[in-house]
Formats: sequence, C-alpha cells, structure tokens
Amino acid sequence: MSLSMADGGAMAWRGVERVVPPALGLAALLLAWGVLTETGVIAAYLLPKPAAVLTEILTNNEPLWRHGKLTATEALLGFAIGNSVGVVVAVLMGWFPAFKRCVMPLALVTRGMPMVAITPILVLMLDRGLVPIVTVVSIAVYFPTLITMVRGLESADVEYHELLHSLSADRLQRLLIVELPAALPYLFTSLKIGASIAFIVAITGEWVGASAGLGYLIVISGEYFKLAMMWSAIIVASGLTLATLGCVMLAERLLGRWTARGEGMA
Amino acid sequence: MARLQDTPPRGGIDIRDLSMTYRRGREVTQALSACSLTIPEGGWASLIGASGCGKSTLLRILADIVQPSGGSAMLSGMTPAEARATRGFALVSQQSVLLPWRRMLENVELGLEVARADKAERRKRAEEAIELVGLRGFERAYPHELSGGMRQRAAIARALTLRPRFLLMDEPFGALDELTRASLNFELLRILEETSATLLLVTHSIAEAIILSDVVAVMSPRPGRIVHQLEIGFGHHRTDAMRDDPAFAAYEAELRHALHGDPGVTRQPIRQPAFA
Repeated sequence: MSLSMADGGAMAWRGVERVVPPALGLAALLLAWGVLTETGVIAAYLLPKPAAVLTEILTNNEPLWRHGKLTATEALLGFAIGNSVGVVVAVLMGWFPAFKRCVMPLALVTRGMPMVAITPILVLMLDRGLVPIVTVVSIAVYFPTLITMVRGLESADVEYHELLHSLSADRLQRLLIVELPAALPYLFTSLKIGASIAFIVAITGEWVGASAGLGYLIVISGEYFKLAMMWSAIIVASGLTLATLGCVMLAERLLGRWTARGEGMA
Repeated sequence: MARLQDTPPRGGIDIRDLSMTYRRGREVTQALSACSLTIPEGGWASLIGASGCGKSTLLRILADIVQPSGGSAMLSGMTPAEARATRGFALVSQQSVLLPWRRMLENVELGLEVARADKAERRKRAEEAIELVGLRGFERAYPHELSGGMRQRAAIARALTLRPRFLLMDEPFGALDELTRASLNFELLRILEETSATLLLVTHSIAEAIILSDVVAVMSPRPGRIVHQLEIGFGHHRTDAMRDDPAFAAYEAELRHALHGDPGVTRQPIRQPAFA
C-alpha cells in the first residue's frame, strides 16, 4: 500500500518534471512578448500584442477554421499519399533488386529538388488549388520515407533470414514476418520528419499556388497589415503540425512497444 | 571408425567426401576437405574442433544455407534442399534468433505459422513444446524480458514444434554461463529421449559433446576433416551421474589428445618469464 503510494508519488513527480519546465519556458516567452509589445519597444505594426492575437483567435476565428481545414486536408492527404507510395516503392525495391538499381539513382537526384521551386510547375500543369498542393506535399514526404524504408527493410540481421530460410518461408512471409516489423522503427522516424514537412510544404505551396489555406491567409493578412490575423494563422499552423506529430508518436507507442523499451534487433 | 561408415543408414545423416572452398576475390579458403561422417537414425553425434575448422560450415551445408563445393550430404536419403522443403530438420544456433517484437509464445509458433498450420494446432503444439522445455508461465514475455538460458529454451521449443527428424544445433549453449549450460545439457538429453530425433551438435566443449552424443567426431584445423571418431558407450538413458563415471574422464582425455594432436608427443614445458 505504502509502496504503491510511493510509486504513485514518483510517477506524479515525473509528470511534474515533464510538464513544468517547458511550461515555464513558454510562459517566459509570452511574458517577454507581452512586455516588449506593451512597452512599445517593438512597434505594434511589426509585432502585435499577445492579447490582440488571442482576441483574434477567440472572436474572428471563422477564416482560421476555413483556411486551417483546407491546409490540414492538403497536408494530411499529401502525408498519407506520399508515405504510402514511399513504403510501396521501398517494398518493391527490396523485392526486385533490378527495379531498385533503375529507380534509386533517380530518386536520389529528385531528392535534391527544392519543393518550392517545383510548385509553380505543378500549378501550371494541374491548375491552382488543392491538387497541386497535395501533389507537392506527397512528393516532399515521399523521399525521406522511401530512403529510410529501403534501409529499414534491410535492417534485420542475416540470422533472421537464415531462420526463415531453414523454415522454408516464401518471399511474402519473409517480408511480413521479418522485414516489415524490422522496418517499423525506421518508418516512424520518417513519419515524424514527414509530419512537419507536410505542413511546411503545404503552406509554402499555398503562397505560390493557391487562393486559400493558411499559407494564403498569412500572405494576404501581411499585405493588408492584419498582423493579429497573420500571427493567429501561424499559431494555428504550428498547432496542426504538433497535433499530427502527436498522433504519429502515439501510434508509435501503441504499435512499437518493444522499441520503446530501447530494444534493438539482436 | 570404419565400422560406423560401413552401413550407411537410410534414415540418418550421411556425409561423403564433403568439401567447401570459399573464394573472396583472389583469396581462396578451403574450409572443408574430404569430410565424411555417418549418423544412424535416432543417433546423437557431436562435432568438435578448433574454432574456424569448418564445423559450422558442415552444419550450414546440411541446413541448406550454403552449397558445398564437392561431395554429398544426405538427410534420410534427401538432399539438404529437399529436406528443407519438407521441413525435415530444425536449426538451433548460438543466438536464439527470437523476433524481438513477438512474445515468446508467438516466437515458438513461428515454424508452424510459416508452415501454415491451423491456429488451434499451432497453439497446441507450441504449448506442448513450451511445457517440454520448462518455460510454462513465460508465454507472454518478450525476448528481452527472458534470460539467455530461457531464450535458448524458447529457440529449442520453436525447433521442436515442427517435430523434426533432424536437430541441427550450432553451439546452442555457447553463449551461456557454465551452470546454465550444464543444466540445459541434461534437459536436452531428456527432450531427445522423448522425441527420437537424430542430433548433430556442433560444440567446442568436450564435456558437452560427451554428455550429448553416441559418437563424437573430432575435426582437424582448416581445412576441416574428420580425424577421429569416438563412440560414447553410455546408452540413451543418461543421468547427471555419468560425469562421475571413470569412463567419462577417459573419453575426455582421448578427445583432448585427438584435438591437440599426437598424444605421444610431450608438450614443451611452459617457459617462465626471465625477469620474474
């Protein structure tokens, strides 16, 4: 009884340790922001007051919802498509080495292309709006997943392959029993990278190639000096990115409990 | 020695003039040369020899992991590839090779899962094998939650679920401490008596080879050849007491001499450091 209470206390303390320092950091940042703007050190036309941004979010949130929903749709659709294609192509590369030799150099070359630069081309080809943005997000998300999945699928020790060989497993069984589970930690690493890439690319894509979305809202608000709206849009964009990242991390914890304990393949 | 090879048993293991040459660039390594060994059906044989003498290579040829350069290896009249296709043998290696993301029970079921046995059968046979190796109660543990000895028991249980006619073991207890190793030796004996499988064990422990074999084959350093075979006359119902038998010490001495060369040659006295 006393032991479990002590455990509970220790756990509560660990919770406090995890929550309090970042909360203090955030509070300090908000305080600095408040002091600098309220005292006029930074002019209101350069940086709005925190209260003004908060009021904007609370009272004038209809545009934030509308544009935020669109950006989230574009980013998440692109995230899903890009990652799925990346995983499928990586599996095909593992299955057909000749295919890998043909495609991998191309994939590496294309990886060097700046995504902002290809958005205008996609807009020309696909018209303005949702489709080119989803496309450019997919392309941006696809590469890291492809590269890490190719490595992940090859990450299982040769002993596991010899074991399945001695059990007369077929190629599909090798993929499902050894290669894919071994690649799972790799996949989650690239999903976490991809979650932020998806929103960054969606928003920059909207600057160039869309008439709606948070990226568009940020540019338009800036042009009309609606700084409170501009900052609100930035906050919403960060919130969406963090929420997506949180979902990925939750899925990782649920699916990969053996990796969460720091156990590798051995 | 010749006596054992006169009657090639159809049901056992028959290795004839096996040779193995590895080529890496211009470097050529002769791992096995004219290696012959016969194990009758249900027999227990061990291969001992210095590390790098090719004893693991021999086992890997039987398990159809590598192809020999010459000669033949047959399991119950089948080539290693045929034996593998019919899941006639099970391989246990020094590393337990349990999938870290699977619980122990799911790891033990792996062989039957790959063989597409139905779920109820899979579970039943896995539970029997787990009972046999004494791991009841740990079914839901992940490999990293088990000790080295328990992981090796699980690997043996996984091998047993397929009811193999041949157990090919490559230093199965090599990574374990001496006490765990000795107790697992006798547990394996008990399991062997229940399963009637033919055993080929690769080990570098002379004692382990004697405890677990009817025949101990000694391999020469590379290129590996079988230079000596010793029959162990303890029968098939062995107990811990066998280690106190004077015959045990005599077998040990004979194998030690066979491993280290001609027993007639006196060893150089150990030189003391001059500055001591």
